Amino acid sequence: MSAAPSLPVRALAALGRPVVAAARATLELWGVLIGTLAGIIRSYGKGGRRPRGAVLAQMYAIGNRSLVFVAVTLGFIGMVMMYQACLQFSRAIGDLSQVGLQFLRLVVSDFGPTLTAMMLATRVGAGIAAEIGSMKVTEQLDALRMSGVLPIDYLLVPRFLASIVMTVALTILGAAIMYGAGGLTAWLSFGVNPRTFFDPAMVQPRHLALGLIKAVTYGAAIPIVSGFCGLRARGSSEGVGWATTAAVVGSSFAVIALDFALSVGALWLFGGDL
Amino acid sequence: MTARAFVEFIGVEKAFAGKPVLRGMDLAIGKGEILYIIGTSGVGKSVTIKHLVGFLPIDRGEIWFDGQRVDQLDERGFYPVRRRVGMVFQNATLFDAMTLTENVALPLRKHQGLGWKAALADARRRLAQVYLADFADRYPAELSDGMRKRAAIARTLTLAPEVVLFDEPTTGLDPVNARRIDRLIRELSRTLGVTAVVVSHDLPSIMSVADRVAFLYQGRVHALATPAALAASADPIVQQFIAGRSSGPMETPGF
Ligand SMILES: Nc1ncnc2c1ncn2[C@@H]1O[C@H](COP(=O)(O)OP(=O)(O)OP(=O)(O)O)[C@@H](O)[C@H]1O
Ligand SMILES: [Mg+2]
Repeated sequence: MSAAPSLPVRALAALGRPVVAAARATLELWGVLIGTLAGIIRSYGKGGRRPRGAVLAQMYAIGNRSLVFVAVTLGFIGMVMMYQACLQFSRAIGDLSQVGLQFLRLVVSDFGPTLTAMMLATRVGAGIAAEIGSMKVTEQLDALRMSGVLPIDYLLVPRFLASIVMTVALTILGAAIMYGAGGLTAWLSFGVNPRTFFDPAMVQPRHLALGLIKAVTYGAAIPIVSGFCGLRARGSSEGVGWATTAAVVGSSFAVIALDFALSVGALWLFGGDL
Repeated sequence: MTARAFVEFIGVEKAFAGKPVLRGMDLAIGKGEILYIIGTSGVGKSVTIKHLVGFLPIDRGEIWFDGQRVDQLDERGFYPVRRRVGMVFQNATLFDAMTLTENVALPLRKHQGLGWKAALADARRRLAQVYLADFADRYPAELSDGMRKRAAIARTLTLAPEVVLFDEPTTGLDPVNARRIDRLIRELSRTLGVTAVVVSHDLPSIMSVADRVAFLYQGRVHALATPAALAASADPIVQQFIAGRSSGPMETPGF
């Protein structure tokens, strides 16, 4: 046996361990993404056998779980936001005719997709991590492998596709409700004429494109991050609880980080005019 | 080149987080043999059989199956192995979200490429063979442990595996159902030539079914003999285990 390592060596090792762990986790997360994309090609490419109705079932599960939740939350946020905006606008410039135009632009290119995805990150993310995590700790994933099934193809691919479709669909719904609730608030509380408010003149194709790109990216990120957390679950029910929490935190954080990255990218692309 | 046994472990080592579990395990299993693996809880019995189907990578050593070295295969490479080597998990481990029929049909679909209809029909027949026809459309959560175990066995046997790994198949079963499982293992071996590797603590089933017994102790096969020879062994550690004495020469971690 060699002598015990000296203090600086041990300190370095203690510092290095979390770095190594983080690097390994990043690599694994990346692996889940690549594996899922490869799984789509395996299942839906030439000669692949797509799971029957799996994507539809997952779409239904996501919609069923989140429709009312997203609608109510975005509606309330739209009301509060518009009330605040009208209050500030009327104090600062006393003119509320621009409020609806600016609001729509913000809702389409940012608030709609990002707030919807934040809500989905909690519901959908927790669901995916809990399901996959409990299958992991009860060895059901190993039983799948014994049955000739790649767990990622079987569990994550349908959730991935369904999440993208449903995030886009719920974003459209959430944005519409947010916009409508905002307009209603402006009209009832500040007397803004709905005809002035609901005017799409300022929305350009690039706003719609940015909103759509964000929705698709979030919809892809949530199941990947959550599936990754579920696959990492260790031990027993405690491990599943840990995975579920990590999935909610992780996918919410992913949504924020991607919002920032995509917004910066769009700003740069359009020369600062968004 | 020496001739390899049908299933062979050579100097297999495995540690979890620096804690060694297997420390150079050698074990050769013949075709059609019924080999029981015994040993105290946590000695590495489940780990050993998981190595053979590639659920856990080994640290050092070699594992051979039917003349092919399998320990270095990747996930894809293990697929053909898992078609020929079935495993009945320690906790039955059915898929919660599927009915019994769907559970049994899944490997038929994936490994044998059967259509959904044909696979479901075949699955129903298999469930009838283990007296579960009336429960074919129930979910695992609605069944008793013994029923789940039988369904898991049916699922494993659908693919007509050449080797079946049973992880404590009779634990938690009543004596009648336990002896039925024993009989099933014997029949598989005698009539179909299936090789059975059985992890068990169940002395009556070991004595009546096993061709040979491997006693795992401190990460190695400490003794390998017929059940009768093992029971008559003069080795103090084997004696302590067989007699189930709480004190003796055996060192068990965790106590
Ligand atoms: N995936 C894993 N990660 C970390 N440690 C593990 C893992 N699997 C097994 N071990 C450890 O390896 C040792 C052997 O476990 P194993 O499941 O093989 O025991 P066993 O002999 O089957 O016991 P039992 O009779 O209780 O089922 C235990 O100490 C266990 O903690
Ligand atoms: Mg075990």
